[in-house]
Amino acid sequence: VENNNILVLGVGNILMSDEGAGVYVVRSLEQNFQFSENISLLDGGTLGMRLLNPISRASQLIVADTAMLGFSPGTISRLTMDDIRTGNIVKNSMHQLSFAETLNMAEMMGFLPPMVIIAIEPFDIVTMGTTMTSFITANFDNFCMRVLDEIMATGGTFSKKERVLNNMFIGCN
Amino acid sequence: MARIVIDPVTRIEGHLKIEVEVTNGQVTDAWSSGTLFRGIETILQGRNPEDAWLFTQRVCGVCTYVHGVASVQCVENALTTKIPDNARIVRNLLMGGQFVHDHPIHFYHLHGLDWIDVVKALEADPAKTAEIARTISPDAPTIDFAAVKTRLAGFVDSGQLGIFNGGYWGHSAYLLSPEENLLFAAHYLTALRQQLIAAEMHAIFGAKNPHIQSLRVGGVTCKFDITTERISKFRNLLTQMRNFIDRVYIPDVKYIAKKYNNWKSIGGFKDKFNYMSYGGFPLDSSETNMLFPAGVILNKSATVDTLNLSQITEHVSHSWYTGSALHPSVGQTTPSFTKYDTADKYTWLKAPRYNNVAMEVGPLARVLIAYNKNVSSVKTLVDSFLQDASLTAVDLHSTLGRAAARALETKVIADAMDGWLTSLNPNGEVLTTTTIPDTGTQQGFGLTEAPRGALGHWINIQNGKISNYQMVVPSTWNLGPRDSSGNRGPVEQALIGTPVADASKPLEVLRIVHSFDPCLACAVHVIDTKKDKAYTIKVS
Repeated sequence: VENNNILVLGVGNILMSDEGAGVYVVRSLEQNFQFSENISLLDGGTLGMRLLNPISRASQLIVADTAMLGFSPGTISRLTMDDIRTGNIVKNSMHQLSFAETLNMAEMMGFLPPMVIIAIEPFDIVTMGTTMTSFITANFDNFCMRVLDEIMATGGTFSKKERVLNNMFIGCN
Repeated sequence: MARIVIDPVTRIEGHLKIEVEVTNGQVTDAWSSGTLFRGIETILQGRNPEDAWLFTQRVCGVCTYVHGVASVQCVENALTTKIPDNARIVRNLLMGGQFVHDHPIHFYHLHGLDWIDVVKALEADPAKTAEIARTISPDAPTIDFAAVKTRLAGFVDSGQLGIFNGGYWGHSAYLLSPEENLLFAAHYLTALRQQLIAAEMHAIFGAKNPHIQSLRVGGVTCKFDITTERISKFRNLLTQMRNFIDRVYIPDVKYIAKKYNNWKSIGGFKDKFNYMSYGGFPLDSSETNMLFPAGVILNKSATVDTLNLSQITEHVSHSWYTGSALHPSVGQTTPSFTKYDTADKYTWLKAPRYNNVAMEVGPLARVLIAYNKNVSSVKTLVDSFLQDASLTAVDLHSTLGRAAARALETKVIADAMDGWLTSLNPNGEVLTTTTIPDTGTQQGFGLTEAPRGALGHWINIQNGKISNYQMVVPSTWNLGPRDSSGNRGPVEQALIGTPVADASKPLEVLRIVHSFDPCLACAVHVIDTKKDKAYTIKVS
């Protein structure tokens, strides 16, 4: 199957420590890699329902997020829509309409493309701060790699940018 | 006597806790508590006044534009800057876009599930549903109700309710037939698609949505976006929204008003029925000729008093702040958390008062003020709605009145937007150059009407920097606590007398709270950690 519009969506709140991890992944990928034309990267922040538009236009959705699944902090999981429906995703947003609800809405409206979430177990999503804890930064490269794996598996290609000013942690201050 | 605590109230933006006392199946007392602290005012101290709007706009991701425009307006007021006419029109279109986006979402996605029992829709006969749909609105686009039913059944049968999880399905206060429920569930999905159109429209002159980019002190920056091509794109999207409002939204609200007729006498703001509007959508450069005029209604009066800003104070005696009741121009935000105690301090919201009395703000206030002032577009529409729904003007002081006023003003605004588009001048100036003096002091205020009501920003500038900044936002007016004399805020008053059939499922309480369209992100001043993760109903 040809995927002409793969949306890589980082969601979370960058003001709440580890809660911003998904957004930092997208920023890091954007800074470090050149992607094929069928890939778009989007910092989804805490936009909730307002992400329905880009989601509706995608042929494949790859989400980077945090999820509290009870693993040790920094553990990376791969989740699908079945996990969302059964409520395995904790409402980790300050917003009442969480991202999981947004996905549910997209599905109910009939335009949710095939979807996978690469999620990292956070340590702290409560303290206000614009940096992630060491539990996340220690495994951040792997987190990015897992998202890149999904991009490859769904038909995207990429190459490392020639001039990279920083290391992978470019988005993490 | 039982105490019911709903914490947090969901299907709103931000965090709100409502506690009610129920005696013999009726609410006898109520407390409204905002559980977040907002620090924007503190962050702004010492910054360049021209940058303030970029911060204030981000106080919330729902009505994102409104805190931007109130901020540039308060700086313009301090500098006595007049903006070009084209800028005024663009700002009206941006604000109008916000209303046309927000209000249908409120009715269908935030308030709708208080009226509609989604699970009951599964018993519906799709053919009969189509018949009802034709009766309610013959011009509405046809819907494949059987397909919608199948999709809903997929969610419900698997036990995975998704977005519909946590509702009080089967509650005795739901009065619609299965077919009616299916119709509204289908419109819930229609409205979801529709709001994507409204957001797209907002981005034409705003550059993006949410958090538009095109404001500036002195006007707007989208000069080169005002082209005939973009105007016609805007009109195309606006026409789609107007069709939706006329053929789906208003007929639906009318139908709900008929089916839930008893809610015309429940949820009014009892003691005084006071309403206030700062006036919204300036129609010329005079700042007094508004689509929705400014004014104050005291005690259900048919006359409208002139708004006198010096009468506004913010009380803090039941809020977690120190200080006394002050006018926003000299307002202070000094947090002092004690504990949640309904007999003492119980919220992060202050209690704004006008002439020391509580005021309801928002769609109902705007519509009543315009109606009493004989604004013809509003009067005609309200009268025909009341007639069709078998209601009288006095019934508007209620839960139903709020839902109706919200729908009707959406139409008034959307219709006016079409005219504003025509009056945009593609070659017109959009910006007045401003300079903030390096020395001296200036004071200013910016007033506007946000979807949820009267919004004001107050600024003090000293030597070119912000020395004080205060925001008094709509949800603070509506959801604020008792004042220093112990008088309840609007939602606290509105809840008293509400029938509660089942204290463990306070659907009726939510119906009223949601009718105010609470949006607490800006009303309160980051999250109480562990407690707010779960949705709890405590009955004691």
